[in-house]
Amino acid sequence: MFPLLREKTRNNRITVIVMRASWMLLLLACCGNGNTKTVGQSAHPVESDALLPADARSVVLKGKSHTDKVDVASPMNLTLGCTWTGNGKKLLNVTGYWLKDGRPVDNSHVTLQFENQQVQLKRMFVIKNEENLGRYSCMFGNEAKADFILAVPHIGDVRDKPVVSYVGDSVVLVCKMDDNKPNPKTWLWFRANGTDKEEIATVAEPQKYQVQNAGKVTKLHVHNLTQDDSGLFYCGAMFTIGMAVSHLELKVITIYEPLKPFVAIILEVLVLVAAILLFERSQSKKGQVQEGEEVAKAEPPATNAEPPAINVEPPTSTSSATPPGESQGLEETLSARQRKS
Amino acid sequence: MAAVRPSAERQRGDEAEDPDGGWGWVLVAALFVSTSLVFGLMRGLGVFFVEFVQYFEESAQAISWISSTGLAAQQFFSPLGAALSNAYDTRLVVMAGGCLAGVGFILASQATCLLHLYLTMGLISGLGWGLVFTPMVATVMASFTRRRTFALGLAFSSIGLASFMFNPLFQFLVETYAWRGALLVLGGLSLNIVPCGALIRSRRRTKGPAKEEAQGTSACGGTLRRVASYLELPLLCERPFVTYTIAITFLNVGYFVPYVHLVAHSRDSDFSEYQAAFVVSAAGVADIFGRVASGWFSDLGRFRLIHLLSFWTALTGLFIMLLPVSTLWGSYVGLVAVSLLYGFCAGALTSLAFTVVPIVAGAERVMGALGLVQLIESSAGLLGTPLSGLLRDVTGDYMASFMVSGSFLILSTLTMATLPHYFSRTDPEFPATAENAEAQRLSSETDGTNALAADATD
Repeated sequence: MFPLLREKTRNNRITVIVMRASWMLLLLACCGNGNTKTVGQSAHPVESDALLPADARSVVLKGKSHTDKVDVASPMNLTLGCTWTGNGKKLLNVTGYWLKDGRPVDNSHVTLQFENQQVQLKRMFVIKNEENLGRYSCMFGNEAKADFILAVPHIGDVRDKPVVSYVGDSVVLVCKMDDNKPNPKTWLWFRANGTDKEEIATVAEPQKYQVQNAGKVTKLHVHNLTQDDSGLFYCGAMFTIGMAVSHLELKVITIYEPLKPFVAIILEVLVLVAAILLFERSQSKKGQVQEGEEVAKAEPPATNAEPPAINVEPPTSTSSATPPGESQGLEETLSARQRKS
Repeated sequence: MAAVRPSAERQRGDEAEDPDGGWGWVLVAALFVSTSLVFGLMRGLGVFFVEFVQYFEESAQAISWISSTGLAAQQFFSPLGAALSNAYDTRLVVMAGGCLAGVGFILASQATCLLHLYLTMGLISGLGWGLVFTPMVATVMASFTRRRTFALGLAFSSIGLASFMFNPLFQFLVETYAWRGALLVLGGLSLNIVPCGALIRSRRRTKGPAKEEAQGTSACGGTLRRVASYLELPLLCERPFVTYTIAITFLNVGYFVPYVHLVAHSRDSDFSEYQAAFVVSAAGVADIFGRVASGWFSDLGRFRLIHLLSFWTALTGLFIMLLPVSTLWGSYVGLVAVSLLYGFCAGALTSLAFTVVPIVAGAERVMGALGLVQLIESSAGLLGTPLSGLLRDVTGDYMASFMVSGSFLILSTLTMATLPHYFSRTDPEFPATAENAEAQRLSSETDGTNALAADATD
């Protein structure tokens, strides 16, 4: 398919643009099912490829190895360059070559001379489809290498904890692309089906699933949750080149789950309140018995002398802190006397 | 009649004479727990807001109104809590408040729209919190005389500690049970306020019946006067109380601003998220130390409480104003240092702000006075943070908003200086305060006459 494209465009540029558009649609449709596995890239600049946007990445290799990640969203001509400063051994020249995914790239062996104690290796690669993505390594003999990992932009901030929701409730699953990454063409959602991924037919079941796409953010609304909805959901960011996938786990629980700690806490509260009230009741009963005896003893004498007497008398209290039950008992007898008089 | 007098003076003597110790410390523990469940809980609700924004698809501002409603309701219903405690039993009021706070969250777990959350998490729980906080603080204050500030400082340190504990706990609850289940569990947790309230000794205040006997006029006038006395409305006509309330209101305008805006200001000054969060945490830790240390120091009695309060308030204002200045040079250490100092001073003034109330209002009217102060200062809280946000939006950075907040605190100090007898060495004499009554209790002869006089003036 590609050689055909190149042949035609040698003659007519307009045809190229039309062909490129329809070719991109074809690419979307077959979702990157491998066509040719050619590793060889064209070394000579071709007009068709010159219409692709160009970009360059270089790295200065100081040590033995280096790795760089490159996000590629749409087809482009990518020039990768490595500069090596040598490894201390005085070398005159070194053989530089490129690897893609560990396999040598055709026609890439070059003998490089050291200029100002550094050598530079540069090559333009045409990135057209998912097959062209991968790990590109520039090798300086066996001494040093630099890796460029070309990939579709990854979906950032993956939520590692599962999203929890309740049976009968609805939930929103969100996938967000980092701000510094390009907008995906569209978003797709999948459900795990065994080991396979099955696309969610949002159009077919509008009461159950609703998708809201807004540039870098996609939201999947799932309504009327059931236990079967628990599991892995995948969101796919579709780019021209390929698709980046991220996953979310949904856990659907019943109301009984939080009820367990809730009931435990309620019981603890009831036990505490009962204990406090019982403790007070027992203290006041003790106090009342003692007070009953003292009041019977203390009533006949003068009224003025009474308050201090009652305050000081209780034999059980040694410190100045009157036990709660004691004063409770005091007040009860006092109010009783108030009522009587 | 003979029996009524001893019981009345016994009541007053009971409250005034309550020793600094024993059951008082149990009440401090109860206040510790309930304060953490009121304010610590409020501070930890931030975890839920992210979930609410996603679930209800509302703006962050609409969601933040939930917390504002809760706080405003707590402060608005404080006089109600005070009045009910004056009229009925403090223990029942606090237990009812605890139940309401719990019920509010339990109902919130079933919310289907934002309005439900405003009504349940905001209004119902706020009402519960209002019925809990003021009566409990007044009860603890009544249980201590010499170690009052320290006891309060110790109890209020729970707010800072709780927010450290609650944030990871709430995060765990939300991750395990989603926000609905987490709110349900929080409702259960809030019900723990009920045992705290049960620890308050059941005590019938004689104020109500005494008043009823004193003015036996028409039912309507009598009820209004009774309600006014429960709410301690006559306080609003007294200059010391009004001056003090205005000072506290100014204080509240500026006090919360750093807690709300410090993170954003740190991020604006090009510090990372973790660095900004650390600054606020550091201020929080210093806050805890400030509360306890200032409480201990104030109780030593070296200085008048009002002088100490003015000192800490002025310092807090100064450090708030220094906060944007310290970031001018981009120094992270400077920002952390000023934040620590701010946190310490802000904590130091908190318990003092409460313990000065009996000095300006008299020990018997503390309950109602606290309620009124809370109500009036609520307006400041609602005003302060949006104002500083507005200043930030208008001027572009936080310099103006921090400066204005700090200046409000300085203004508060100046207002406090206009209190009567501010520059005298000792606190002014107040008729029939608890301290006065206690001092005179030593001679049993004058006891009866004093109680009678107090009864007559009530």
